[in-house]
Amino acid sequence: MDLSDFEADNSVSCRLSSAIPDICRTTDCCLGIDEAGRGPVLGPMVYGICFCPIDRKEDLKALKVADSKTLTEVERENLFCKLDEAKSFVGWALQILSPNTISTSMLQRAKYNLNALSHDAAIGLVQYALDCGVQLKEVFVDTVGPAEKYQDKLSQRFPGVEVTVRPKADSLFPIVSAASICAKVARDHAVTSWGFVEDLGDVDTDYGSGYPNDPKTKSWLLKHLDPVFGYPQFVRFSWSTAKTILDDKAVPVHWDDDEEGGEKAAARMNCASMLSYFGKSRTSARETHRFFSERRLQSLDSL
Amino acid sequence: MRWITKRFKMSSNGSVTTLQLGLVAQADKPPVHLLPCEIEHDGPAEVSRYFTSAVKNQKHEMTVSFRGRGLKGQEVSCPHGYTGLVLKEDHKPTSDQEDRTVRVSSVFHRFTYWNLETPPTSDDGVVMGMAWPDLAEAIHGSVDD
Amino acid sequence: MASKKKRSLNAQNDRWVVIAADSVVDAAKSDGSDPVFVRLKNPATDVASLYLFGAGDADVYEVKAFDEDYRSWFIGQTVQRDGRLLYITPVDPLYLLLPYIIKAGKEQGKFQPVEQVLMDEDFPACRRLLRCARTRASLPQVAEEKEGNGQRFYKYSQEKTVEWLKKKVDRTVEALKKSNISVGGGVKSTTYIRTKQECNVQEEDYLRYAHGLISEYISEDLSKELQKILQLPEVSSPKDLEPPSKKRKVSDTPVEAGEDYTKFNGASFARKPPKKMSAAQKSLAKADKTGMKSMSAFFSPKAKTEKN
Repeated sequence: MDLSDFEADNSVSCRLSSAIPDICRTTDCCLGIDEAGRGPVLGPMVYGICFCPIDRKEDLKALKVADSKTLTEVERENLFCKLDEAKSFVGWALQILSPNTISTSMLQRAKYNLNALSHDAAIGLVQYALDCGVQLKEVFVDTVGPAEKYQDKLSQRFPGVEVTVRPKADSLFPIVSAASICAKVARDHAVTSWGFVEDLGDVDTDYGSGYPNDPKTKSWLLKHLDPVFGYPQFVRFSWSTAKTILDDKAVPVHWDDDEEGGEKAAARMNCASMLSYFGKSRTSARETHRFFSERRLQSLDSL
Repeated sequence: MRWITKRFKMSSNGSVTTLQLGLVAQADKPPVHLLPCEIEHDGPAEVSRYFTSAVKNQKHEMTVSFRGRGLKGQEVSCPHGYTGLVLKEDHKPTSDQEDRTVRVSSVFHRFTYWNLETPPTSDDGVVMGMAWPDLAEAIHGSVDD
Repeated sequence: MASKKKRSLNAQNDRWVVIAADSVVDAAKSDGSDPVFVRLKNPATDVASLYLFGAGDADVYEVKAFDEDYRSWFIGQTVQRDGRLLYITPVDPLYLLLPYIIKAGKEQGKFQPVEQVLMDEDFPACRRLLRCARTRASLPQVAEEKEGNGQRFYKYSQEKTVEWLKKKVDRTVEALKKSNISVGGGVKSTTYIRTKQECNVQEEDYLRYAHGLISEYISEDLSKELQKILQLPEVSSPKDLEPPSKKRKVSDTPVEAGEDYTKFNGASFARKPPKKMSAAQKSLAKADKTGMKSMSAFFSPKAKTEKN
């Protein structure tokens, strides 16, 4: 799998895709959606779709694609090669959400949670297939959240397509297994060959699975903590595992949208706003001219 | 009582702080960044390893992230006729009546300021503040009879 | 999930980021003396403010800080928590002398050598103003001058002073017109076409704005006197009639922000996302603000804000 488009800038999201098989533009198709790397505290989360003509489902089954989680890394690689060889009737596309995208979205002023992020990635991929002229009739989705709500959302968004959202869909529908293999292979590649945008020199890449409960991952996080910067962009700062370590061991950083604890903060602000009204270190109630107040410029009484 | 307060005030206002310019031309010229957060730290940090190296400069927009938050930045130059100086006090005084000394530890002519998520505009406080020296010249320049 | 840490107090600072007039550095190069920071009486507020004397006291500068909350610096491979940016800009020494000359004029009412006038045990550094290059030359702009026994004597003249200030205002108006500082109640915009009538309003806006700026360097009485001479009518907008406690509240957004419709016209319309109300703001918004004005009495003029 060629990840060079993503690797060229792994701090943003990236879409990778196979060529669209001609037959998918003329025959009714089914499409599977699955994700890889939702849980880990580091590396990207990858959304994958795989599609083929409905009447070729048996051919897909013959490739013996199965739930990616039950396969070894080597088996997944082999299956991805087989899918690639079946490009006359199987197509795929991936949305790689970089860990930096995940961190900055989830921590942004107007919080963008992981479910919304995932749903939008899935919807974007289906839309991409439609835009490419794939004759979509059936969509199968694996889900971690409540299936019904998600199914309604997708059905509404794509009228004319029969949507089936099902937990463990990757072991029930070969087309979802295929999507899951594509996603997992991409996630594995991205993690093992992660090119740090930071200038970290020889960084130890023995970070384990990336799952917060993996002891290797945990010790990597503890070992590679920088007191000021925390972590490279490879780590999802929005994960509670990372947050807890930062709160305990790194230098505190404060932002203007921090949720400060209740009364004390209110008192501080109250005091500050009143003082700024009365003009710091001013005897009279003469207000500072707005040229200065708008620019946050004020006199000093000492260095 | 009043006399005492007055004496005290006098002596603290009487103290001076000398600005040792030294060889400004030869001073260190480090990259300078103004961040949109308060970092509770004074001292060394791996700025180039973690931050500068991750800055992306595309289509006149600079982006980076810090502690998982997205920043957008822009470079600003010191106003014409002005130079950026970083002043350092090597020995803190023990009382406010003591004379003090600060020295120029580094010099800069431009710096990068960063907003939290919002693209930099001319309405940003830092940029607006740069109008001050020119205006100060008008308010304080001599008027001819 | 771990809770956010409270901001701790910022311990004494030992570094400052400043933007200084090149003359501060250049003058020292030529005469070899180092500039000094001193405290002088702020002519508008009468309290101590920080100034800088350069070129062996020939030049005087003021120090202002750009101080936005939640800012820190990276300087090379270091962090500086204090995110202020200090400006060192030239000051007309006459503004700083004026309170002393006015005071002497009121108390003595006679011609005096400036050396006798400029004495202040609270601010001993004011004597340095005598050595400023511009001081001697500009004194006649605010005082009557007499010569005798090889000495010069001065007596405050309000007429001269106001004339001088008027010139200051004119100069400032010119500078404002050349700048893109928005001086009106509204906001300048290239897409917004003003009618002729509004152009006239604009002229007064410039004058009022310049008057406000000059007033930052003179006493309130003198500011009012200048306002009369400039024929600037007193502003009697509803905003000004409101009691002070209601005037600003929590909001510290620029005055014109509320009425800035022009920004929406431009093609480059890019609004900042609304800032989330912090928990503190929320509880403050809920708090009963009656009686806030009287509470102000508890804050001494020199009280520092708890900026930490």
